[in-house]
Amino acid sequence: EESGSMALNLTINSNNPPLGALLTAEHVKDTVQVSVEEGKDNSLHISDSVQFSDTNSISRYLARVAPALGLYGANMMEQTEVDHWLEFSARRLCDQPDLTLALGDLDKALSLRTFLVGHALTLADLSVWAALKDQSSWPSQSKAFPHVRRWFFFLNSQVPFSSVGSKYASKKP
Amino acid sequence: FKATKNLDALLGKDLGTLRDIVINANPAQPPLTLLVLHSLLCQHYRVLSTVHVHSSVSSVPPQLLSCLGPKHADSYARHMFQLGFTLIWKNVPKLEMKFSVRNMCPIEGEANVARFLFKLLAPYPSDPAVATLVDSWVDTAFYQLADGSAKERAAVLRALGSALGRGPWLCGTEFSLADIACYCCLSQNGSMSATAANVQRWIKSCENLGHFGPAKLLLK
Repeated sequence: EESGSMALNLTINSNNPPLGALLTAEHVKDTVQVSVEEGKDNSLHISDSVQFSDTNSISRYLARVAPALGLYGANMMEQTEVDHWLEFSARRLCDQPDLTLALGDLDKALSLRTFLVGHALTLADLSVWAALKDQSSWPSQSKAFPHVRRWFFFLNSQVPFSSVGSKYASKKP
Repeated sequence: FKATKNLDALLGKDLGTLRDIVINANPAQPPLTLLVLHSLLCQHYRVLSTVHVHSSVSSVPPQLLSCLGPKHADSYARHMFQLGFTLIWKNVPKLEMKFSVRNMCPIEGEANVARFLFKLLAPYPSDPAVATLVDSWVDTAFYQLADGSAKERAAVLRALGSALGRGPWLCGTEFSLADIACYCCLSQNGSMSATAANVQRWIKSCENLGHFGPAKLLLK
């Protein structure tokens, strides 16, 4: 792997931890070493001129330095679906007062699928799971969306979802 | 017409039907980046382009009906084309693309459709940092430049200025999707004139490439 010897530093604001990025870091940790430290803002430092501060960019970068894991999908069409779900999680799930429409779309997409894209775990699952985990209103709504519920709790029970969830999600004010 | 790229390698084997890219877009927000990418696709592939108006929309200005160019003389012979590009003006809250619907979910958002179309033209940078920088600028263009508050826009203009102080294009030495997205979102919200000298120079360089004609036609 090109990235075998690289060590990256992810700084997080513990009042607003980038769950999706932390989860991606956990998934790639056997390929890319990422140390996490607390600071003022969320940021992944790459070089003097390049750093990424939003959770989707950090996740995209980590998925790309560990290509063998396939977190960005297996082909161009799956990549496009992953891009769709990254935007969906950032724009339609995060900080939205009413999730009903978005959860309806998500439920439809998951009705015949184990994972959101293709036949394996991708950034789509990580980012949408993280966005839902951040929503205090989600567990009480889960009865109305059985496919999302099945998918969410299936992931929720697995490492590293369970460890990242208990370590960071509970820290939110 | 001369095809320069192998679509089978990019999209999987051709099963004999036309690969049709269907885009539902709201006429209140014409997708300038997609029109620019469409005209670039037409330089690389034989594209059968069609514009429709959905019944949810009552009237559409003539420049939106002709935005994909004149109707092709051979349009009856679908097998002569490599790609279909079907634009439907429709009252949708968010732009969406349907392609290969049996394998792919509908794709929402102009940014994601732009990424898809661009990959049909050129591969993404192989360096993970540069590729992610391109994606990060595309997000910034659509979320902060096109949709953001005045304060967010001002912050993006400062970031554009400092990125363009480091290289001729936003992601270094190569023109990329980042430049297309930022140019189009900047021109859409009319902040072209209120920019620093190196941003002005970049706007000129973009225009010199001649790719932005389809976008400018709609802004007049």
